[in-house]
Amino acid sequence: MRSKRRTFLILCTLVLSVFLITILQSLLATLDSVSNKPTEGNRFVVRHKSGLTQFLPISYGDYLRQQPEVLAVANSQWFGGYYQDPKNFFANFANDETTMFEVFADRITGLTEPEIKEYQRDGKGCIVGQILADKYGWKVGDTIPLTGTIFPMSPRLTIRGIFKGRTASEENTLYFHYKLLEEGVGFMKGKTGAFWLKTKTSDDIPRVANRIDTHFSNSPVETMSEAENAFYLTFVKMLGNIGAIIHGVTIAVLIAITIVTVGTMSMAIKERTTEIAVLRAMGFSSSRVLFLLMAEGLLLVTLGGAMGIGLASLVAKILREILGSALIFLQDFHLANETILLCMGMALVIGFISTIIPALAATRKSIVEGLRAL
Amino acid sequence: MNQNAAPIIHIQNLAKSYFRETLEIPVLQGLDLDIPSGGFYALMGPSGSGKTTLLNLIAGIDRPTGGLLEVCGSNLNQLDDDELASWRNQNVGFIFQNYNLIPVLNAFENIELPLLLTSLTRAQRKEKVEEALTLTNLMDRRENYPRQLSGGQEQRVAIARAIVSNPKLLVADEPTGALDAKNADEILEMMQRLNEEFGKTILIVTHDPKAANFARHQVHLEKGVLDKTVEVNR
Repeated sequence: MRSKRRTFLILCTLVLSVFLITILQSLLATLDSVSNKPTEGNRFVVRHKSGLTQFLPISYGDYLRQQPEVLAVANSQWFGGYYQDPKNFFANFANDETTMFEVFADRITGLTEPEIKEYQRDGKGCIVGQILADKYGWKVGDTIPLTGTIFPMSPRLTIRGIFKGRTASEENTLYFHYKLLEEGVGFMKGKTGAFWLKTKTSDDIPRVANRIDTHFSNSPVETMSEAENAFYLTFVKMLGNIGAIIHGVTIAVLIAITIVTVGTMSMAIKERTTEIAVLRAMGFSSSRVLFLLMAEGLLLVTLGGAMGIGLASLVAKILREILGSALIFLQDFHLANETILLCMGMALVIGFISTIIPALAATRKSIVEGLRAL
Repeated sequence: MNQNAAPIIHIQNLAKSYFRETLEIPVLQGLDLDIPSGGFYALMGPSGSGKTTLLNLIAGIDRPTGGLLEVCGSNLNQLDDDELASWRNQNVGFIFQNYNLIPVLNAFENIELPLLLTSLTRAQRKEKVEEALTLTNLMDRRENYPRQLSGGQEQRVAIARAIVSNPKLLVADEPTGALDAKNADEILEMMQRLNEEFGKTILIVTHDPKAANFARHQVHLEKGVLDKTVEVNR
């Protein structure tokens, strides 16, 4: 391209477009991976039908435990505390300190039997994920203050174990005793945000879930049973149909960038009509000139695409670090290889379409006509 | 020049028409012309007489609508587009009125362009480009881009590019049309030297009688028909 300013501007447009598409598609892929992740633990959640800000009576747990398909029940509450400074925000839950190890056996690993026992013994104990411990330099035996943001309570917890998880989000979590929350917050006495249930098989889940919701229907506190990942996505769903929005924006960006690139490449090739004619007069065949023009167009979009993906990767890392502790699904936010390939492929298709049309027109034009185009 | 040498350009009953929708506009009609190897011919005539069209046909960048056109031993009518492109690369050097150098390439790179289509190595290409630069007195300008050159220097680069692949035939369409008198004379003298010392067959289109006098023969066209061929007395 002859105009440096135009090249710079089209490159910026490509970078920003590919960046936007990559980030949005990665967000969608991350959400999909959360919702499609198999529930290895055969788990599901029972919560208040009205929403996540309402509580269930702890006594509901008795009925849940009576179900023949249910192996374990753990009541759990999102605490929403931070460590020392509000920016040090991460996932922290008050959980049943005994059954949680059975319900979350796949999520909480690497703890020794003595560590588990020590945690269960110490009512002010907690266990933390490896990533969290590494981030703040915590070790077993350290006492850490946790300041509540939802509940008027700021417990000082002693780390009794550092566990491993399957994902970054799982290792970025802290658990402490449910009883401590009940004792510290008067209005939480006898209440819980949710019950986590582990069944014998995943096939049991729909049947048991339906039975539980039917049992509590028409009661003052009705339940909503849902699969683990659906539960996580409840937060996201509150924002609307994310998938449709992301696809809509992606298509709009694709159309816009295609129009801009077609216009730019047409102009760039048209202004070189005479040069193309001179090259062909010198003996460059039409196919060779077409190849050169295509290579130029594809090089430009490849460069723009690579820079856009690089920028998206950087932003994904920043988002993960800044928002990952607040938005649990963002803790695993990354650019999947499939997404990178998809976005790069889209950039190349745009480059191909936008170059082939004016390039074919230029190489099909007669040399004599091209030489006259001054 | 040996006038009895086999013609490098053999034209018989050549015709070229352009079509505007269904309307046929004849530009050249029934033209016969033989140009011997090593000749220096100026094509002259008023605007619309068909001289540039004839030059384009001989150079293989346009196709006739009828007649025989043999140039450098090839019947151009029988070559497909790719063969014709390859033929041009091997046989024809082009010199244009507006030089038509690639602005983002320096003098050396512009001259090297036709050689990129050959199987020459980088070192061989360099050697040939330097020969062409020396011949056109441009060695000190080899790194300069077209915008850093005067009109006369640009046309010398264009001449170097035209001769670098050692073609038999040089075609020039108004090669001095954009130059002042001094630079025009320099360019024409250079073409004369290429003809006399290196035996290049040269065909130029010009309006300028002074420029045409540098040639050995002047071919006059009138309304697409060969009017007369005149030998220039120097």
